[in-house]
Amino acid sequence: MRSKIATDNPNSYLLLNGDEAAARGAVEAGVKVAASYPGTPATEILEALAEASKTFGIHVEWSINEIVAMEVAAGASMAGVRSIVSMKHVGLNVAADAAMTLAYTGVAGGMVIAVCDDPALHSSQNEQDTRYFALHSNLPLLDAANPQEALDMTREAFKISETLQLPVIVRLTTRVAHSKARVKISSINQNLRKAEFDKDAARWVMVPSNAIKRHRVLKSKLQEAAKIANTSKFNVVEDNGKQIGIIGSGVGYYYARSILDTKKFSWLKLGFVHPFPTELVRQFASKVKEIIILEELRPFIESNIQFLHRPFLGKDLLGLDEVGEFNPDVVREAFAKLGLCEKAEKLEALALPPRPPVLCPGCPHRAFYYALNTVRQFVNCDPEKCSGCDICEYICSFEKEKTFNPIKSRIRAVRLDPLSNMAVTCRTCKDAPCVAACPEDALEQSVENGTITVDEDKCNGCGWCITACQYGALTIHPETKKAMVCDTCEGDPKCVQWCPERALSFGGETEDKIVTGDIGCYTLGFMPPVNTLQTCLCMGAGISQAAGMFHAGVKDKIFAVIGDSTFFHAGMPGLLNIAYNKANVCVIILDNHVVAMTGHQPTPGSGRNLLGEQTKEIRLEDIAKSLGIEKVEVVDPYDVKATTKILREILDYPGPSVIIARRPCPLSIEKGPAREVLEECDACGLCVEAFGCPAISIPSKRAEIDPTLCYGCGVCETICPAKAIRSTG
Amino acid sequence: MELAVVFSGVGGQGVVVLSDIFCEAALLDGFDVAKAEIHGMAQRGASIVAHARIGEKIESPLIERGKADIVLGFEVLETARALPMLKKDGAVVVNTKYIPPNITLNAQPLTQEQLLNMIKTKAGAVHEVDGFGIATKLGNVLVVNTVLLGALSALPENPVKPESYKQAIAARLKEKYIDLNLKAFQLGQESVTLG
Ligand code: SF4
Repeated sequence: MRSKIATDNPNSYLLLNGDEAAARGAVEAGVKVAASYPGTPATEILEALAEASKTFGIHVEWSINEIVAMEVAAGASMAGVRSIVSMKHVGLNVAADAAMTLAYTGVAGGMVIAVCDDPALHSSQNEQDTRYFALHSNLPLLDAANPQEALDMTREAFKISETLQLPVIVRLTTRVAHSKARVKISSINQNLRKAEFDKDAARWVMVPSNAIKRHRVLKSKLQEAAKIANTSKFNVVEDNGKQIGIIGSGVGYYYARSILDTKKFSWLKLGFVHPFPTELVRQFASKVKEIIILEELRPFIESNIQFLHRPFLGKDLLGLDEVGEFNPDVVREAFAKLGLCEKAEKLEALALPPRPPVLCPGCPHRAFYYALNTVRQFVNCDPEKCSGCDICEYICSFEKEKTFNPIKSRIRAVRLDPLSNMAVTCRTCKDAPCVAACPEDALEQSVENGTITVDEDKCNGCGWCITACQYGALTIHPETKKAMVCDTCEGDPKCVQWCPERALSFGGETEDKIVTGDIGCYTLGFMPPVNTLQTCLCMGAGISQAAGMFHAGVKDKIFAVIGDSTFFHAGMPGLLNIAYNKANVCVIILDNHVVAMTGHQPTPGSGRNLLGEQTKEIRLEDIAKSLGIEKVEVVDPYDVKATTKILREILDYPGPSVIIARRPCPLSIEKGPAREVLEECDACGLCVEAFGCPAISIPSKRAEIDPTLCYGCGVCETICPAKAIRSTG
Repeated sequence: MELAVVFSGVGGQGVVVLSDIFCEAALLDGFDVAKAEIHGMAQRGASIVAHARIGEKIESPLIERGKADIVLGFEVLETARALPMLKKDGAVVVNTKYIPPNITLNAQPLTQEQLLNMIKTKAGAVHEVDGFGIATKLGNVLVVNTVLLGALSALPENPVKPESYKQAIAARLKEKYIDLNLKAFQLGQESVTLG
């Protein structure tokens, strides 16, 4: 691994993003232990440290989750060395329990908590503002607004941490973490601290009698921290002797400087924001007539300068939102409204089709979702649309019997009342009553897709099945006198294609199953055309939400979908809980061996660590069993048939169960040969509309596969009803 | 002197890497640089945009709407999407490949020609580059990016020296790919200079 940040060339420039810069800051400070859990946009902090780890003897690890990472870093720091823990904003919620009391014990070696907020939720589930966590936990916070600050602040934070004996938070936002800029580097601290643990129980054992004392210690440390904040080099005053003073933190401050004529204003850039540098702000404010405050997300600075008892222009008056992120356009608009800069020209937006995020071509999650979506499919009719034209009957009889004779059709249009019609056919019921009713054992239900087949040698035409079916889906063939029932034309029902009113659909009941989701690439399964998932809350929530729904008494079968890494991170307690509290939930672990969404970091299941070294491979099926789950199945999601079969079995399984759908993320392995579409393709649209591989499109009369996008998974080939797709390899 | 470039394409096409190399080259020439990427939660297949600004002193990476000097598009639809970023009479380098978005049955997709026309009416100068064709001729479709970088380097408004690009490319790649990429870079340059 070539490490960019390991360069020992002080005062030279590097092109670094905010994450890499923070990592460099830690290297310059002589960090010894670094722990993290991957999360956009904080992932690259540890990745950059990993690349430099051999050179500087740093222990780096992907911990199982953020609280574990926090505790690992805390332990290292308690033992006297410098440590860093990095995570995205929501990761800090997971680590909060440790952080809150760590503020009481404090630390010995410098400890930095690097946290990346994600205004505008580029890749997150909320927009929380970590400055408020600093307030909540009483920890000092430095707010970096560009990569250079990320480097300088991280390096300095170790010192501040040692002075105060407190962990220090360095906050980045997506725009800092994932922006690259020219960054000046400094020399690397070679005087590493010794690892020695001072066994001072009064300090480290947080029982009430000790903790209350430490709470007082914390309060006095905060006063000391406020002094540092007031003189910190990260709070920069540019006094141009002007009437208007602009106070800001974060990227918005620099957008404003790029847009405005800087000489016409006085400026205060806040970098050390908690504890709030009250004195400094008071001095600055006394020199200007008007104050404008510029900060993304919540009004943190605004609420902290109320002590001035002076009017100011903040979010409300500037028309700047607490929701979403700033960009130069909205900042210009705000200042233009005040007449402080020119308005932007109006530019008309072009009407273009969007290209939203989708599951990649070849993604095994898509294949699994397809199996789950189609596990109980039948031809369904919308009585609101059905005109009773009988065309489906003609089509069916022609398809099956090569004659236009409605009496030989497997679907029947019936008049419900004088105003509405409906076509009825087999609904592939669970434990089909027709099968049970047949005295000759002539009917059999497929475990894969639930369709019924009639053994014509055994059927004697007694008609018991007809009485057993409450939908009236079975009939007797007028000539052979054998029972007839819909076989869905092997998953491509012709009646659906020909229905002129589009009243027929091939989907079946969506109400018979609930699918809760979780955090990862697979969350994209809520999007059309996949439409499988119905929830996504936070890491690991899906399993327990499903349990809650079960205990609430919903009738549907509940599936909880979770990725392998998320399962290791936060899914295990939930799984143990459903076993212990007996919730009939099927937990589906989509196991692709990596943390795919953040860029393919290894998981405990991949058998290698962050540095690519061999380590114990933890098997998901062993965990599931040891957590008390008796029914554990492993499937290959590319094998849609076998997967569907297991799913049907699980539909009837009465207790907690686990299905592990195992296939490596295609982006982490070599591509297979691309698929191509043959002349047999009749553009039925199943591969695009129901399956939804982005490599396939139907530009005209036939589907087409883009060979540069195709990953060669071959799943489309197996589900194509016309057998019109084949491998080019 | 300041130059603002918007890179626009589909996730997986190399937008991030290419904009990185552009900035590395500018850095070698002594410019201050800042760049940012905008992409969502998908690893592949969604729109992705990178902004890059170079100059004497750059305080923030994002470009205002209507202020980009150049739009470099990796694909026609994404190039069209970035047009509101372009200043009046700004230049566009467009890879003529079209990757239609995943459309549902009802939506009428735009054709490649319609999109190219849209680009031509909005931009000052449009340089169409058949990156895919050139790369195929070189025997490796993966060098499309380097072809585009060559084209970008040849625009008159771009102050970064071609030599610096070559140095930045070489620093990024394995030894055995360097020659191929330098060839691709040159063909990209020529596709602009020779019209
Ligand atoms: S083989 Fe089929 S399903 Fe798989 S990536 Fe290629 S086109 Fe998509």
